[in-house]
Amino acid sequence: MTALTQTLTVARESAVARIAPSKTGDRLFQGAAYASALFVLMVLAGILGSIIYGAWPAFSEFGFGFLTSSAWNIGTEQFGALPAVIGTVAAAMLALLIGVPISLGIAVYLTQLCPGWARKPVAMTIELLASVPSIIYGMWGLFVFAPLFARFVQVPVSNLVEGLPIVGTILYARIPSGVGVLTAGIILAIMIVPFVASITRDMLDQIPTVLRESAYGIGCTTWEVVRHVLVPQASVSIIGAIMLGLGRALGETMAVTFVIGNANRLSASIFDPGSTIASRIANEFNEADGLQLSSLMALGCLLFIITFVVLIIARLLVRRTKVA
Amino acid sequence: MSASPAIRSQFEGRSPADVKAPVRIAVKNLNFYYGSFHGLKDINLDFRDRQVTALIGPSGCGKSTLLRTFNRIYSLYPEQRAEGEILLDGQNVLDSKIDLNELRSRVGMVFQKPTPFPMSIYDNVAFGLRLYEKLPKSELDGRVEESLRKAALWDEVKDKLKQSGTGLSGGQQQRLCIARTVAQRPEVILFDEPTSALDPISTGRIEELIEQLRAEFTIVIVTHNMQQAARISQFTAFMYLGELIEFDATTKIFMNPAKRQTQDYITGRFG
Repeated sequence: MTALTQTLTVARESAVARIAPSKTGDRLFQGAAYASALFVLMVLAGILGSIIYGAWPAFSEFGFGFLTSSAWNIGTEQFGALPAVIGTVAAAMLALLIGVPISLGIAVYLTQLCPGWARKPVAMTIELLASVPSIIYGMWGLFVFAPLFARFVQVPVSNLVEGLPIVGTILYARIPSGVGVLTAGIILAIMIVPFVASITRDMLDQIPTVLRESAYGIGCTTWEVVRHVLVPQASVSIIGAIMLGLGRALGETMAVTFVIGNANRLSASIFDPGSTIASRIANEFNEADGLQLSSLMALGCLLFIITFVVLIIARLLVRRTKVA
Repeated sequence: MSASPAIRSQFEGRSPADVKAPVRIAVKNLNFYYGSFHGLKDINLDFRDRQVTALIGPSGCGKSTLLRTFNRIYSLYPEQRAEGEILLDGQNVLDSKIDLNELRSRVGMVFQKPTPFPMSIYDNVAFGLRLYEKLPKSELDGRVEESLRKAALWDEVKDKLKQSGTGLSGGQQQRLCIARTVAQRPEVILFDEPTSALDPISTGRIEELIEQLRAEFTIVIVTHNMQQAARISQFTAFMYLGELIEFDATTKIFMNPAKRQTQDYITGRFG
């Protein structure tokens, strides 16, 4: 015991004299990181604040009626948000309805069915799709897709459903020009597919091999493995991916402005032209002033709220899936 | 090469190997390839009904590869192929005409890591049943309970059947996977290092369970743990570099092996 203490003492004495590292660098670093975090919050608060400030005249003039009115009359200065809000939600929902099944199909194909040599090229093509600027989609949608869509889908379908209840309203084009809410939904679907597909693919890839093997091991077919084991296993991340796609679809401006037709009226038909919040702002900000500008600001405010609500719903969904 | 009394005492009171039990799986001239790599070389081996057969050997010796041929799970990977014959009750499972899904419901498999499906405890067990049998609700309930009882899990989960299977402990999850396999009433159950991810207490429970399951099923188990092989199996096959070195009753392999390599491996001199 004594000998041990002695050796310890000797070791301590022979140690090199150390200089304590300066705390200044650490504090600077902490301060810088803190300031960066704060900066983001301030920018967010600043944008929100200035939009609400700009929108205030419109909100105080029209009150709650701004939400329910479908007027948009520059001459009489009567403005309402309803058509744009419904257009935004409808186009985004159509985009999800079309885009999500395709995305899941791509992800499942790439991770489960695709032969090894084809995996890279297909995945690359999809990522390339994500890097196409939205103006290209808009131009292509208006000049190439819309005329074909009018000729081969809108006209025949309208002829087919004319006079029928419900579908005769939803799928009837009064003027089959090719542009409209469904066209916007289709273009948006093409735009969100790369995002949703590549995130879903990554998530399916991360599922441990043994889980997949044990599902096959009890005699499941590929469809049963995917439907009951792999997709539920990745469901939280897939919902996250879908919400990301929805966020993009709600806010997308350029491509939608090209193909939605920019009509300010409510129509029950998804073949008819409409408008979204983003397309309306993009169309009018240039020559707007006074109450019209304020109304555009108010529309922006609504878009902000819609996106925020989507985010909250996504969070709630994700939490529920985790519990179950 | 005679065994010490300590090793000998391990086998006292154990159920002896039944060399007269009918052959359930007969492996004949089996060769296996990973691409161009020759993973299994001319394997000939019989697995007897209601006996536990352990496959032992150092990592990479081919024991898991051999196990994975019995339910053809390897065929998920196009670069892997097997040649030869594996007769399950006289029917060659390597035959390209065999229905893989039906084969896998007859030859169940439990993996290294517990793999509960992302669904409730009840559904984890009922899922496999629903694939092959259309049972009325009451009968399904009965089968689920029966399977969970056989997997020694019923008492722990009977009050929370609707909860997620992923919320159970590791040992419970592994027993849930066993229940899921048992529910399909397979003829053979393959265990691929079933306790390698579990603590000693859970391992003990799984080993007891395998001992009980032997009354109904033919069991093949791959294990890295030689004590485990000695404790729970009636027959042991020792493999090395893709070849079957020695196959015999477990007591014989552990107390009086015929080959030098087997002796060296079980005494820990290599591997």
